Amino acid sequence: MMRISTPWKIIIFTILIVHTIIVMIPFSVIFFNSFKTLREIFLRPFSLPEKWSFDNYIKAWEKAELGKAYMNSAFVTSTSVLSILFLSSMIAFVISRYDFPYRRLLYLYIISGLALPARLAIIPIYLILKSFHLLDSLFGLIFVYSATGIPFSVFLLKHFMDMVPKEIEESAIMDGASPWKVFTKIILPLSKPAIVVVTIVNAVGIWNDFFFPLILINSKEKETIPLAVSTFFGEYSHQWELISTALWIAVFPMIVVFFILSKYFISGMTQGALKG
Amino acid sequence: MGAKKFVGLQNFKDMLFGSYSHEFFNAFWHNVYFFIMLSIFEVGLGFIIALMLATRIRGHRVFQTVVYMPNIISMVLVGFIWSMLLNPQWGLINQTLKAIGLGKLAHPWLGDASTALNTIIAVNVWRHIGFYVLVMLAAILDIPKELFEAAYMDGASNWQIVRKVIFPLTVPTFQTLLVLLFIWSFNIFDIVYALEGVQAGPYRSTDVLGTLFYRTAFGGLGSSRTDLGLGAAVSVLIFLIVIPVSILYVRMVERRSER
Repeated sequence: MMRISTPWKIIIFTILIVHTIIVMIPFSVIFFNSFKTLREIFLRPFSLPEKWSFDNYIKAWEKAELGKAYMNSAFVTSTSVLSILFLSSMIAFVISRYDFPYRRLLYLYIISGLALPARLAIIPIYLILKSFHLLDSLFGLIFVYSATGIPFSVFLLKHFMDMVPKEIEESAIMDGASPWKVFTKIILPLSKPAIVVVTIVNAVGIWNDFFFPLILINSKEKETIPLAVSTFFGEYSHQWELISTALWIAVFPMIVVFFILSKYFISGMTQGALKG
Repeated sequence: MGAKKFVGLQNFKDMLFGSYSHEFFNAFWHNVYFFIMLSIFEVGLGFIIALMLATRIRGHRVFQTVVYMPNIISMVLVGFIWSMLLNPQWGLINQTLKAIGLGKLAHPWLGDASTALNTIIAVNVWRHIGFYVLVMLAAILDIPKELFEAAYMDGASNWQIVRKVIFPLTVPTFQTLLVLLFIWSFNIFDIVYALEGVQAGPYRSTDVLGTLFYRTAFGGLGSSRTDLGLGAAVSVLIFLIVIPVSILYVRMVERRSER
């Protein structure tokens, strides 16, 4: 690795500290604002809150209907991720392990989805969902996310399954194991690292997505977190104490989850984007 | 939606040569500008910060985690947070400038057509740079240690090592990141929506193809005409811009997985 002299170490360390502060400031501002009154935010932007009261939290939570939004986001994210895992792992298994006519073509067809940003297909998606009466429905969103998550997930899982040695399953097949047994008892457990990546990349992407809910969801009780905060931001744009609180409520759980699982997040998301 | 009527290439004509062409190319060049600026500040600066972390300096793990953190926050939420910080009267940025005696620099960052686009780019860098840092860092740490040792034995300076060892060996990573960045640059929408709205103000100075598409297809206050057909033409044009690079990307990914 590189050897560096002490003065350089000090310079680098300082730069990294400054970077850390720049990252932290926006989060700490909304955090402190969430305990302030509007007056305090405007008159004393740099001081700590006078008293640590949760009034803003109660108001923002109720007015922005964040409880409902959290439920919607959790439902959409978990259902979509489960269906992505269910479908992609089986598709990947078949493509990785079986030889059949047009296998390569099928694979290319699936991963061509990697190259086409799903957003560009929003008009056909919109029209299709409309004709199925799935506009303004969480299930409509789930369908979209499940479909758009498949190319990347199949790609990553197939690539990983290709590296699992065939000898293990061959001996299992000799012992009379069915393809389903091979899939569930051997391939899936061995693909766990790839499954973790697929889960994290899809879950973060779906949880944070704003574009599809913006276009596909109209009614307030079906809003996901980013959309609910966005609506709230539009309605209460001058009440910074409430907006800050809503933003903090939306952001804080993500930060906690990130710090607990940062190792998986970082390796998952950086690998995920590069490989898929 | 009115009755469907086949209009041939009329929508494309309107977009590229007709009444919308000014708006289309205005947005298009902003996407290109995004790509160039983000290449410099996300990929370029990301590489430099990755080099700093690659020295395995004290606390590098904490820095790594913190640097990445903004990436897990939804882009619109990032936009809303920054729109408060950048508020001309009460925003923390201008308040800070005033407090440290640089009140002259205080500025309606998002409200002035000359700074709005660069401000959005800065917010974008704040959100994304961690990703580029960590990808670059992984590439640098992949370089065999012996190469460094051999270079030091030959009396190489750190600057030479960066130029002659690290940079050449991370070129493939630069390529992948630039390709991805290109695709992402033409998909920008959320951040402009959150900071400037669908009108991409002031005076369309922050308009990108994504917001133009949204306005034409799904409307937005004040747009002259909302028309799914015209919107579809915009998305087809974005698609045509992105597709060659996307194919390149899939091929790069495929080639890597064959190794």
